[in-house]
Amino acid sequence: MKKHRGELEIDEDIQLESANWKVQRFAWVIMALVVVAALLGFTGDGGIAKLQHLKAGDAAQGLEVEYERFLRRTAPAEIKVNLAPSTDNSLTELHFNKKFYEDIEVDNIVPEPSEVYTHEQGITYRFTTANQPFSVTFYLTPKGIGSLPLHIATDKKKVAITQFIYP
Amino acid sequence: METVIRALVLYVFLLIIFRVSGKRTLYEATVFDFVLLLIIAETAEQALVGEDHSIMSGFVMIITLLLADISLSLLKQKFKHFGKVLDGVPVIILDDGKLLHDRLKKVRVDEADILESARELQGLQRLDQIKYAILEKDGKITIIPKKEE
Repeated sequence: MKKHRGELEIDEDIQLESANWKVQRFAWVIMALVVVAALLGFTGDGGIAKLQHLKAGDAAQGLEVEYERFLRRTAPAEIKVNLAPSTDNSLTELHFNKKFYEDIEVDNIVPEPSEVYTHEQGITYRFTTANQPFSVTFYLTPKGIGSLPLHIATDKKKVAITQFIYP
Repeated sequence: METVIRALVLYVFLLIIFRVSGKRTLYEATVFDFVLLLIIAETAEQALVGEDHSIMSGFVMIITLLLADISLSLLKQKFKHFGKVLDGVPVIILDDGKLLHDRLKKVRVDEADILESARELQGLQRLDQIKYAILEKDGKITIIPKKEE
């Protein structure tokens, strides 16, 4: 054991400790950055001024999707779809790719679709319309982890969005 | 499998986060530290368990955590330097009666903390009665008094 001033037996390693202090200061900066990122919504669950609340598509063209860029696994999430009614049919169809029902548990849909069926490309919901624009809200629980590319389509228009699910 | 990963990820995360927070962060629980510890424990518990409240998950979790702890202590024993990096080393903060101000600042300790330890451990009244004060690796301050003349 080293002796400090020839009397105090102590395993002091001030070089290691100063390196440690530097690492600590650096880590504090990282911690601050994490908090800032969280406030800006980069870790999911919204953020100041709904910065990560995005819109894709165009309501005027019959399909607009409102969604959160970042989701958290098992935390409640929402996707809102604004639709125009189909012109030749009293039912409006909304298609999702397979990832949608593989990586996400759909808890509730408002309004309830009159028909749901799955097929090779994914899942299709059919909604009865009153011949005016309407919106559908999907209440979801993400089950997967990582990037989640979604394709949402009506008969005429197609929108692709990418969400990210944190573990 | 997920239980094991959860436990290990959280174990390593907490280890790192407390290590970089500094020695004094959770030592000598003042009211604030106590509240902090309570909240962190509660948050960690939720992240650990998730939605799985089964007994089996609890068993796996506890065994994984203990095994991680044992492995780490074995590693520390085998590789001394690794142990030093992980646990830190004691730091002299009052040397031969003189306060080392730059170190005090770095470890977030002040005179009052040293005096508190001096009173508690040695029944000393003044700073000039102390020969050495050392911040130990667990965050405790130990005091070596000057010899009575």
